[in-house]
Amino acid sequence: MTQGFQGVIGLEIHVQLNCATKMFCNCPNRPGDEPNRNTCPICLWLPGNLPRFSQEALEKATLACLALNCQIQEKSAFDQKVYYYPDLPKGYQLSQFHRPLARNGWLDIVGEDGNSQRIRIQKIHMEEDVARLVHEKEGRTPVSLVDFNRAGTPLVEIVTEPDLHSPRDAMEFLRVLRTQLRYSECSQCSMEQGSMRVDANVSVRPLGRDLLNPKVEIKNMNSIRHVGDAIAFEMDRQVECVRGGEPVVMHTRLWEPDARITVPMRGKFEGPCVPDPSVPPVVVEDSWLQEIIQKMPEMPGAKVERFVTRYGLTHEEAQHMSSEREVSGYFEKALDHEAPPRLAAQWIATQLLPLLKERDVSLETTSLDPGRFAGLLFMLGREEINVNAARDVLKRLLESTATAAEIVDQCGYRQVSGAEELEALVDRVLAENPSAVENFRKGASKAMGFLMGQAMQASKGKANPRVLKELMTKKLG
Amino acid sequence: MHSEVFSHVDPAPVAAKSEGGLLGKRVGVQSLFCVQGWPCEGGSRALKGFVPLEDATVVQRVKGEGGVLVGNTHCSELGLGVTRDSAARAVAEKHVDAAFMIDVLGEARMAAARAGLFGFKPSWGRISRFGLTGLAPSMECCGILAARWKDISAIFSAIASFDERDPSMVVPSELVAEGAQTGSGRNGMVAGFFPQSLERLSSEEREAFSLALGELEGAGVTLRQVEMKEFHLFPVAHQVIASVEASSSCGKYDGVRFGHRATGAKNWNDMYVKTRRESFGLLLKTFLFQGAYFQFENYAAFENACRIRARLVQETRKFFRELDMLVIPTQDNARDAFQARSLKELYSAFSCTLPANVTGQPALSLPGLFRSAGRDMGLQVVGSYLEDEKLFSLADRLVAHREGSA
Repeated sequence: MTQGFQGVIGLEIHVQLNCATKMFCNCPNRPGDEPNRNTCPICLWLPGNLPRFSQEALEKATLACLALNCQIQEKSAFDQKVYYYPDLPKGYQLSQFHRPLARNGWLDIVGEDGNSQRIRIQKIHMEEDVARLVHEKEGRTPVSLVDFNRAGTPLVEIVTEPDLHSPRDAMEFLRVLRTQLRYSECSQCSMEQGSMRVDANVSVRPLGRDLLNPKVEIKNMNSIRHVGDAIAFEMDRQVECVRGGEPVVMHTRLWEPDARITVPMRGKFEGPCVPDPSVPPVVVEDSWLQEIIQKMPEMPGAKVERFVTRYGLTHEEAQHMSSEREVSGYFEKALDHEAPPRLAAQWIATQLLPLLKERDVSLETTSLDPGRFAGLLFMLGREEINVNAARDVLKRLLESTATAAEIVDQCGYRQVSGAEELEALVDRVLAENPSAVENFRKGASKAMGFLMGQAMQASKGKANPRVLKELMTKKLG
Repeated sequence: MHSEVFSHVDPAPVAAKSEGGLLGKRVGVQSLFCVQGWPCEGGSRALKGFVPLEDATVVQRVKGEGGVLVGNTHCSELGLGVTRDSAARAVAEKHVDAAFMIDVLGEARMAAARAGLFGFKPSWGRISRFGLTGLAPSMECCGILAARWKDISAIFSAIASFDERDPSMVVPSELVAEGAQTGSGRNGMVAGFFPQSLERLSSEEREAFSLALGELEGAGVTLRQVEMKEFHLFPVAHQVIASVEASSSCGKYDGVRFGHRATGAKNWNDMYVKTRRESFGLLLKTFLFQGAYFQFENYAAFENACRIRARLVQETRKFFRELDMLVIPTQDNARDAFQARSLKELYSAFSCTLPANVTGQPALSLPGLFRSAGRDMGLQVVGSYLEDEKLFSLADRLVAHREGSA
């Protein structure tokens, strides 16, 4: 539908920092608590109070900037973004408009064509969140209630350059961004839970041109999927406008997830931003910055490379193992307990994580420690058990505190690999299924699968499939 | 309980402590200073019924040093100007030994001068502003008025230590560094005066000012005439910046959590508009409109004012390489701050006191030295930024000299 046109997309991403306190007072940073529990005269903005900037907020914000390859500015400052709305009872939001904490960052994404593409980040600034409005009805009267738990909680806003051109790239960028930020442990970055909020600025232009048309801002997407859907819808809508000769005007639209459309919200209002006279400029000393840099973990890019060269993982496996910090931590701990690397990567990705998800636990909360998990892979690697048995043992490991070896012995999972034992079994199966043997010899290779299945069943699942197949092939050949 | 002097009086004022540097000193504060459990209405419907949950740092420190908090004095709306202020009267009529006033344009010095009192404005960042319900954070300070000079220096030492609750306070280490820079090895005191500050004085007033300078010389102060060509820019820079800051500061007066709230509004926006219309008086409204104009419509003018301010600060500090203080009249007879009902009159009347607010320097209005037509005009000495103590030693010397000659 958008043939001949290209989307020009920039994102503005608000990320809640997981600090212990709010940005300008010592109230707990727990917006989800019982309404108005986490408040004080400062975050209620009662007269006479002065904001006191939290060092922890600066530290977490700096981690976010470093994770996104930004240049930290030596001096930044807070401004007052003036607007009047019930969620902002002091009349302005403290935000770093004129002098942001960091500039000139970037993230690489893999584009649709498989090539790496660099997306530039224009700036990252700190700001306080506003209060939350709850709209209810008292009888027939609609009432709006204000919950100040969120007022003054620390945020960073990440502003990209308009370097993205498709919904898919925008979604890919957000996934990479989320991974990077989660790694730096400055935020949970959950769009579903509101700790990451994304607004998209979208315009379209004929392919091959580099003009920037009036952009439309879209809000209210609460998952990465929705961001993609909303951008796709908006691009279609704008292309239709352009084709119909209707001008696109700058405004804000809301994504309606049920109807899967965007609807106009309001004319774009840009309040003034004046320097705040109360919060002193934020000065980042180089020695302090070096300390923060020391605190940065190995980031996913470097980790993937190391996993490939050091453990011999494929690129894809390495990426899986690096996608989350807790996954990579678990993976490497399992290797410390002598799990074979590739087996560990495959089993974590395809077996363990899905099982944990079913049980609604995470790698951090599961009772299955990397040591016991490694014990299972160790046995599998040495063919002491086969894959089917290993799957069963894994389930049992999740339910008990026994080691893999104990479960294997108690439940008789140990694989039968002895050629003598298996030879008798193969002979018996071939004798019992003469027609299948006949078919195989006539060239129906499918019959081999049937015979293997029969043999495996006869061994109660314990036969080593590799040895079994060798024997079977020899006997039939 | 209230009276012409006090908007709120403690019925049984007692010292919270039986020892300390301010033992038994009676102190009054404008109703813009937070005192736990006392109404803090700042002369405005916008603050009607507001009762702070805790003490301002200066209040807490007065209590902690054995001082007695007597009551809240009346003030002009949110402390802008002095027309309705009763702090000086409370001191002059001996209800209190000292009074605290927010000094944003020079209100504390002005009120003190008129009543024949000492009026002191500290360097910005020397006395905590935590708990002060002000208008223009970058301009204002806690001013102190007293009849006896010693009371001011005693109160300053009791309340001026670092307070982590005010992020604009100068940290002690910077205080030492800054002092070391400008605290040249001069012996004696060198005071500068400049003709631009005397232009609007009548000939009679000029003569009186010369006499006052003579008194300074008598006390061992060396005088030097200097030029301050951009003196006329101080009020402009002040007005633009302070009005913008005030416009933001007053954003919190929405009538929802405290203060007057209009009835009969159609929706929340209408309620805000009506509430604010009914809450503020004309002078303050004019000021806020002006600030909003610069915020929303003419931000470039605001940026210019900030640049001019930075230049004025630089220029003024240059003087202090060779001077210990500047001597300026606090007021003159032609322009009466107590009658100032418009912004124009207000800024005209305070044109000699507000430069210290623009630059953040300490300033002291001395009584009894500069008198004309039977009125005390107040002789203002402006010290070097953060060198408040140096200003005190001059005052000590002058007071001792006058007592000696009396």
